[in-house]
Amino acid sequence: MVGTPVDVIPYIRGVQLVLIGYNGYTKGSRIENDKIVREEITRATSRVRSHMENIFDIQFREGNIDLARAAKRCIEECDYLIEDVSKAASGMEHAFLSGQHSPSNKDLKKLIKHDHEVIEMITKAVNIANSSEHSMGTEDGNSKQLVMQTTQMITSCRGFFGARMNILSGLKSKKKRT
Amino acid sequence: MSNYRWRESPDTIARLVNADKIQTLSSQQVLLKPNEACALIVDGRVGDILTETLLKSMAGGFSRWLGDKIGVTANDRRLLFAMTGPMDYWIPFEGQIADGEAVKGFANLRLRMNLEDVPKLLNYFANNSPMLTREGLISIIATEVRARVVTPCLATCSSAADLRSAMFLERFEMTAESEMRNLLSNLGFTMLKAFPITNPTDMEKVAEHRAKVQAQMDGNQVNVEAQLAHYSQTEALTLARIEVETNVARAKARGQVTVELESELKELRAQEAKWESEINYERSKMEIRVDEADAKTKRAMDMFAEVQKKKADRIANQQNFQQQRMESQNDFQQKMMEMAAENGALTPEVMQEMLRQQTAQKAVDVSGAEVNTSTKVCSCGTVLQPTWKACPNCGNPIV
Repeated sequence: MVGTPVDVIPYIRGVQLVLIGYNGYTKGSRIENDKIVREEITRATSRVRSHMENIFDIQFREGNIDLARAAKRCIEECDYLIEDVSKAASGMEHAFLSGQHSPSNKDLKKLIKHDHEVIEMITKAVNIANSSEHSMGTEDGNSKQLVMQTTQMITSCRGFFGARMNILSGLKSKKKRT
Repeated sequence: MSNYRWRESPDTIARLVNADKIQTLSSQQVLLKPNEACALIVDGRVGDILTETLLKSMAGGFSRWLGDKIGVTANDRRLLFAMTGPMDYWIPFEGQIADGEAVKGFANLRLRMNLEDVPKLLNYFANNSPMLTREGLISIIATEVRARVVTPCLATCSSAADLRSAMFLERFEMTAESEMRNLLSNLGFTMLKAFPITNPTDMEKVAEHRAKVQAQMDGNQVNVEAQLAHYSQTEALTLARIEVETNVARAKARGQVTVELESELKELRAQEAKWESEINYERSKMEIRVDEADAKTKRAMDMFAEVQKKKADRIANQQNFQQQRMESQNDFQQKMMEMAAENGALTPEVMQEMLRQQTAQKAVDVSGAEVNTSTKVCSCGTVLQPTWKACPNCGNPIV
């Protein structure tokens, strides 16, 4: 295990604004950090889902099936993301015995940067979902467009979160250091 | 340390465990997988909600017993275990569509429990046994599903065919999402998906039977048509075979006739060639004869031309002679006239006599000329000489 790289400290600070307890995968806290990040993503996605549920309920009851359908699609996308995140791999703790190599500076940098970006992205999705519900209430702006934009953002987030698997899977096998 | 199993059956969804009731010699630990969660309720307060972890020393063991005895542990410790992964629930229903037809089937609800919603299950366990199974949950939500979702959705279907439409499925899901949220949220569940599966209605069974009978009839019809087609093919095949055989026989006969004809033709050709050679031979002979005749004719013509030439010469000589004679006579008469004139003997009687004699002389000349010009012509066109007794060209005698 190596120390936290200096150039990712701004990213760690950024994540710490949202997640208290996040320390950038320092020694012995890797699983905890991973769990914190995943829980935050799940929590934010649940927020998006709640906004979409409100939109769906109102539009369905008013007979606006088009918008209700879009909101339902977004809810489903949120469910997929939550399921992806909750069942995502988090790596192993016992690197020495498990055959994993210890994360290098490069790995940690990538992981921390990725955490920061995915949290930024999901936060953006929450903001758009909030705006869509707000625009529906005030009837200014295109609610459907915002709902679809939220869906797109959640889908992107889902795909982006998948990249985390690639980083973690890089730790699975001991590689010969050059 | 022994492992505690909170779930014995796959139908178990959640379980509330009173940790104080677990009195074992060895302490208990429980492994929580990613789709399992455990909410700790200590002294009536909801504590941590754990997942993906090994919960060590959750109950039992000497140290915990000792702690209980001396009063250093919590008074009430309960563990609420729950499955958080998606699970399917089949809720049977019966209803009627708009035309009064009875419909039976199942409504499938796919539910999931969020980690932070696990403590909400306390609402259930407050009035029920400490274990929640699929049947237990279905018994709670079934009535509301039928009343709020199934019945209104079926009422919008005018016929059994509407039950199978995508629109109905979508409406069912949306209605379930909207109407069931209150109850499910109270229990801590989140609905992921909902869809109905309806058994075939009576009218659909009739339609199915009708379709089967129709299919049977169509099948029979197809068989009959196939048999007819087979017979037709057999007939066509037989006719074709007969025609081919006839054609072969005809071709054979035609070939035989052709061979015979060719043989005859060959003979005829040979005969023709023979006749041709004979004709050629005869023609050659005739040509030789014609050539001979032509040569004779040519010779005769040449002779005739020579005679004509000589005749023309003779006539020319005669004419010259007469001309000379007439000129000498004219000279003589002129001299006589001049001499008579000189001698004064030129009287009208002399003149008259001289004219008379001259006229007589002319007459004699003319008659001589006429005799010369009155030539005869043969029927073949050949001019005959007065001395000839027969035509040299055609051989006809001259009368």
